Amino acid sequence: MIHELKLAKPSSLDEVKRILSSENSKIIAGGTDIVPGFHIESVRFKNISSLIDINSIAELKEIKIIENEIQIGSAATFSSIVNSKIISENLPLLAKAASQIGSKQIRNRATIAGNFINNAPCADSIPPLLVYDAEILLESEKEKRRIPLAEFLVSSYKTKIQPNEILTKIIIPNRYMNFHGLFYKLGRRRGVAISRITFAVLVRLENEIVTDFKFASGAITPIGKRFHEIEKTIIGKRVNEIEVKLTSRNIGEEILNITGVRWSTTYKIPVLQQAVYQSIKKLLSGN
Amino acid sequence: MKIDLEFTLNGKNVSIETEPGKRLLDLLRKDFKLTGTKEGCSIGECGACTILLDKLAVNSCLILAGQINGSDIITIEGINEADVLHTLQQKFLEHGAVQCGFCTPGMIISAYALLLEKPDPSYEDILNALEGNLCRCTGYKQIISAVQDSAKEMMQD
Repeated sequence: MIHELKLAKPSSLDEVKRILSSENSKIIAGGTDIVPGFHIESVRFKNISSLIDINSIAELKEIKIIENEIQIGSAATFSSIVNSKIISENLPLLAKAASQIGSKQIRNRATIAGNFINNAPCADSIPPLLVYDAEILLESEKEKRRIPLAEFLVSSYKTKIQPNEILTKIIIPNRYMNFHGLFYKLGRRRGVAISRITFAVLVRLENEIVTDFKFASGAITPIGKRFHEIEKTIIGKRVNEIEVKLTSRNIGEEILNITGVRWSTTYKIPVLQQAVYQSIKKLLSGN
Repeated sequence: MKIDLEFTLNGKNVSIETEPGKRLLDLLRKDFKLTGTKEGCSIGECGACTILLDKLAVNSCLILAGQINGSDIITIEGINEADVLHTLQQKFLEHGAVQCGFCTPGMIISAYALLLEKPDPSYEDILNALEGNLCRCTGYKQIISAVQDSAKEMMQD
């Protein structure tokens, strides 16, 4: 039984901001996390008594290209991301990650910002968004601020959002035409699976030289993160000079440094290293 | 605090006074007595509570009543006309795609949503559309055959 709730369904963003500034309210969009949380009386949500549904606000659902940037409304569902030509043509790793989230029913409701707004480590949208250098726009009644996603994600289940703010857009530079990359996900089964290991790799090859390389982890680290130091050891090198085995081993060791030894380490680290090895090999061969 | 809701349910305009925090699943089963929609896992994994919301398959256990004002909802009770079974329902019976039957309403609604979107789905499309519906009896083979056969027959009509 869900406790007593108030629920507003405003039709404008200004109205959302006004409510957020005047009362202690939380945003609901897809509800795929919050509704079952209420139902099982999860401690995460037990103090919420007032909700604002943002599904009627058209601008928060839009996916568009403006100048050199791709803007994704925070309440765009994963189905709309999977079906968007803008995303599949320009941000294929995000399209791939979105297509593997939950089930058809979940993707029809769950939204992109809802996926990472609570900074759960298993959020599948995070590794692609990090390698694409995504930024987010936070708005309150008085202020707008745009910050890199990597900065927004502070620690497990903690972000930089303030109680009076709403995340309105995810903004990604539209400059990945000459990159190729991949998104890797390992769950305990093929469909409807919570991720155990995720990562994304993005590479730009020019005349057998790696002119850009980006790697981001997801579910394998406490929060999604880029590996800038390891990226630097690869950028600028000729493909045949790159020690892929060493790089994969270093990524595994770096992750072990972050997480410490856990019950799953003896399984996860070798699996991760092998998956990273195969992924980088494949991308460097131009596939 | 109660709110007034107005929406379309199985093709009819309906209104009801209810709590905004009630799950759509409970609203359908308890207030509208539409018990064809089942409650399985209650956390959006099994698909037994699948309904159509504005022509998309969704889990009614993950939606609050306060979110659905003005929308168009179709449940398993709303897909056929009068006493005639819908093609999908008929084909599920013919193919032995129903055993205990608990997953069947959700399974049929997911298949119905697929055929609205893609009248001629590939095998992969069917797997993709049904991945959020668990069945513990049939092994899925009969269900997939029933959907394939339904698509074929509905294309001819």
